[in-house]
Amino acid sequence: MTLDSRFALLAPKTDARPDMTKLNLIAASKLGLLSLLLSLVCSIAVAQDIPTDAASISAGEALFTANCKTCHKVHQKLVGPALADVYNRAPSIDWIKSFIKNSQAVIASGDAYAVKLYNEYNKTQMTAFTSFKDEQIMQLLAYIKAETDKGPEVAAVPVAGAPAAGGDSTGIPSSYLNAIVIGLVLILVLLVVILGFLVSALKRFLDTKELSDDDREQVDSPITLNSIVKSSGFTFIVVFLVGAIGFKALINGLYSIGVQQGYAPKQPIAFSHKIHAGQYEIECKYCHTGVLKGKSATIPSVNICMNCHNQIKEGALYGTAELSKITEAYEKNIPVQWVRIHNLPDLAYFNHAQHVNVGGIECQTCHGPIQEMEVVQQYSLLTMGWCIDCHRKTDVNAKGNAYYDKLVELHNKSSKSAMKVEDIGGLECAKCHY
Amino acid sequence: MKLLRHIFLFGSLGTLAMACGAGGDDQGTEYAPNMYHSVAYEPYTQITDPEAGAWLTSIEYSESEMPGHAEFYNSNTLNAAVMNVNMNMRTPPANTVPRNKQGWLPYRLPKDSLEIGAKRKSPLDSTAQVLADGKVLYESYCQHCHGAKGAGDGKVADKYAGIANLKGDAYKNITEGHIFHVITHGKGLMWAHGSQISPEDRWKIAKYVKALQK
Repeated sequence: MTLDSRFALLAPKTDARPDMTKLNLIAASKLGLLSLLLSLVCSIAVAQDIPTDAASISAGEALFTANCKTCHKVHQKLVGPALADVYNRAPSIDWIKSFIKNSQAVIASGDAYAVKLYNEYNKTQMTAFTSFKDEQIMQLLAYIKAETDKGPEVAAVPVAGAPAAGGDSTGIPSSYLNAIVIGLVLILVLLVVILGFLVSALKRFLDTKELSDDDREQVDSPITLNSIVKSSGFTFIVVFLVGAIGFKALINGLYSIGVQQGYAPKQPIAFSHKIHAGQYEIECKYCHTGVLKGKSATIPSVNICMNCHNQIKEGALYGTAELSKITEAYEKNIPVQWVRIHNLPDLAYFNHAQHVNVGGIECQTCHGPIQEMEVVQQYSLLTMGWCIDCHRKTDVNAKGNAYYDKLVELHNKSSKSAMKVEDIGGLECAKCHY
Repeated sequence: MKLLRHIFLFGSLGTLAMACGAGGDDQGTEYAPNMYHSVAYEPYTQITDPEAGAWLTSIEYSESEMPGHAEFYNSNTLNAAVMNVNMNMRTPPANTVPRNKQGWLPYRLPKDSLEIGAKRKSPLDSTAQVLADGKVLYESYCQHCHGAKGAGDGKVADKYAGIANLKGDAYKNITEGHIFHVITHGKGLMWAHGSQISPEDRWKIAKYVKALQK
């Protein structure tokens, strides 16, 4: 017997006040009896109607995966309620059938249970599955019943000592590197020891010989720090090292003036390209919508963030701390002031649409492995030499583009190699400077 | 010792020059700043300090029109009163209607008019080119949730519950107009994508989704 029917019997009694008339009591007990009968019928119907054979359950599972699982789980609330035990909970099997086929109609009809559900789940409408046949719904219920009887899955305990994901997949593992370094240090120490033995052996050998006074002084003079520092060899090495390193640093420093490679400013929200573009494989264009159409690739406005973050409120790295900033900006209608990283000088013109849309260049060609960057930095030099170099090496993406037909024809008359960007004026000053 | 002094000079100059490079929050040293900064508004960058560039400028700005301004200042304060931010973008003038290349008027059906929207016919023909474009657009804007085959199994579906399986029975019979309307305004748990995808591209995606469902 289900719990509901017992409550239905009890309810009138607990409500009954001493002054209640007999009529009321009779009516109440009738009602209770009726609901008892109804639920009896229902539970019999449930027991009889929901198939338990394996074929129905597997058919139901296929239907569930294809149509329901995005919003429902059997043992857990997702977008919609957990479905375990639904056949006992819902008013009737027929109610379930009509709700699945067209939930809106059931809600519109004023059905109390449906309206309650609708309000409880933030007035989210369930998709109408008008094409479902009654027997398919029974198969679904068969699957849900089978899962309900199985009980919730025990969360898998992560295996201790499992190899950590990520890390360097290429190159020499760091443990090997350490072993190599330690080995080298040992060899060097060994060398010093051997040299020390050699020096003392030579000294003993010279002690036995007859030597002039000058030579004797040379042999007997002790090796001190002072004598090392004053030796000409030492001075030469120090002067050479400081000079060479200083010169290299100076040249590098001078070359880096006006080059912002490595610029990685802190952004108002700690956004990770590694998670969005890498882990979840969201295309760059989804957020940078201008990249095919205009000069700037554009930084997404908050409504684009909210397409996902209306639901995903907790991040993997910072919990809710960073994501709450997006919600706040959205609610207050204030743009997030992202810091622009790639600042091409105003004297040069660059257009994303020309390179990405027409040229078919990958974002990573210039921006580097963005999908691996936690914090984005300027990857390329963005100097004129860097631009020119690429224009000399890159073939024009002329395939299927009628604009280039004549140019390719002309080029092929005079040359046998593929048409590069420089062949159609890619090195002309006024292409970029005007 | 004269040599040593030269060496020391080199070393310190080198260390000094290393500070010119960029990294972290530091943009590094600029070589010719008055050729770098746009006087006109530039996307996503503004110089809000009115004094910026005063030390090298030779232009004399009129005190009445631009009081205290130097050469680099390029900030738009028109939005400051409304949103308390200096934003380069400006709101379009009142009573103007944006038109696109094809001369289409904006899609004006509101979100709750899905039934009317579903009846609209696609202005595009089902050519191979339209379908190929639709595929590229689908991969950019839809795939990470709805999956490569439309089965609602994209990578983001692990995190975002309630992603429609476009191959499911409930969506088998939706029209291109329906898809267009839902991309524009969103429906149920999907939010509006009208700001990201142009009307023509939305029709292309609709064509491709119908092809996927077959």
